[in-house]
Amino acid sequence: MAMAALRREGRRLLLSPTVPIPSPAAAAARSSVVSPPEMAPLGARFVSTQIVRNRMKTVKNIQKITKAMKMVAASKLRAVQTRTENSRGLWQPFTALLGDAPSVDVKKNVIVTITSDKGLCGGINSTSVKVSRALHKLTSGPEKESTYVVLGEKGKVQLVRDSKKSIEMTITELQKNPINYTQIAVLADDILKNVEYDALRVIFNKFQSVISFKPTVATILSPEVAEKESEAGGKMGDLDSYEIEGGETKAEILQNLSEFQFSCVLYNGALENACSELGARMSAMDSSSRNAGDMLDRLTLTYNRTRQASITTELIEIISGASALEG
Amino acid sequence: MSATTAAVPFWRAAGMTYIGYSNICAALVRSCLKEPFKSEAASREKVHFSVAKWADGKQEKPTVRTDSDE
Repeated sequence: MAMAALRREGRRLLLSPTVPIPSPAAAAARSSVVSPPEMAPLGARFVSTQIVRNRMKTVKNIQKITKAMKMVAASKLRAVQTRTENSRGLWQPFTALLGDAPSVDVKKNVIVTITSDKGLCGGINSTSVKVSRALHKLTSGPEKESTYVVLGEKGKVQLVRDSKKSIEMTITELQKNPINYTQIAVLADDILKNVEYDALRVIFNKFQSVISFKPTVATILSPEVAEKESEAGGKMGDLDSYEIEGGETKAEILQNLSEFQFSCVLYNGALENACSELGARMSAMDSSSRNAGDMLDRLTLTYNRTRQASITTELIEIISGASALEG
Repeated sequence: MSATTAAVPFWRAAGMTYIGYSNICAALVRSCLKEPFKSEAASREKVHFSVAKWADGKQEKPTVRTDSDE
């Protein structure tokens, strides 16, 4: 297979000036088999190996690039991973206090999909988009509304294709500086001011290890819904057992809490996703450097074999010519 | 405690969210730091992203929110 392709390439691109003496017989024999546009230049007897040599050089360069990308991702990952693990302490108290209510059924759902700006990181962006789509399908229905807020270029590109009508906002260039809380808080503020919601559903890839990411949904309820839920009992009902300091009412507290919860969850989500992105990029680049290596091995083998074949043929010709003269 | 309790209705009435309020408070606390901690904390409050609203399936012009001076 590889040999055939190689021969075809070689024939097409063989340079005629390199061949000094034209041999009409060979050219005639060739032309009867090959169609005119693919005809070999006059006197071509062997496949040119230049194409393969170039190809090998290209593959080697690609391998170098992917290796470098892997290194970069690996070194960035370490810093982000620590920050991510620390940021988990921000939302855990909220879940302990308010509980998570992924199954809550409300009218206005806003799906916050967190993706990356850059590609070459395996399937993590497609995973978040897929989960978002499924959730969109699940939450939309008669008298119900479900819209997207998309973080990151890649998620935007994928969601524009089939559900651009439901996109409300897109946010990009988030990762120009390392992600910090202030930035995410400003962003969360912007989102809260610009969308109406009963429930916000934040979707991101939770970082488990360098090779494992779990698509995760975090639900934040609006104050009104949260109050209704707390009256209905369950985890939210326990909120009444807390003593409230100052003159604030429960509704005010809940509003503050849910806003703060959103910014915390978004912060953690953005970090988790950034961490997963780097991990995924690391493993993707690792496997692509391995593939480049395999390809290089195959090409080298083909190259050497072809070279050897042409040398052997030439030797045979010389020897048989000499023996014909002797005899 | 009484000061914060008194402040709540005012920033709420001004159209701020709790996040905005807490951000301003955080910025205040950060600006009280001494060097070298101050510049260290300042590096953690860089804001840069671009937001685009969508209407009828079309993206409107994105606005860039940034505080780095360029």
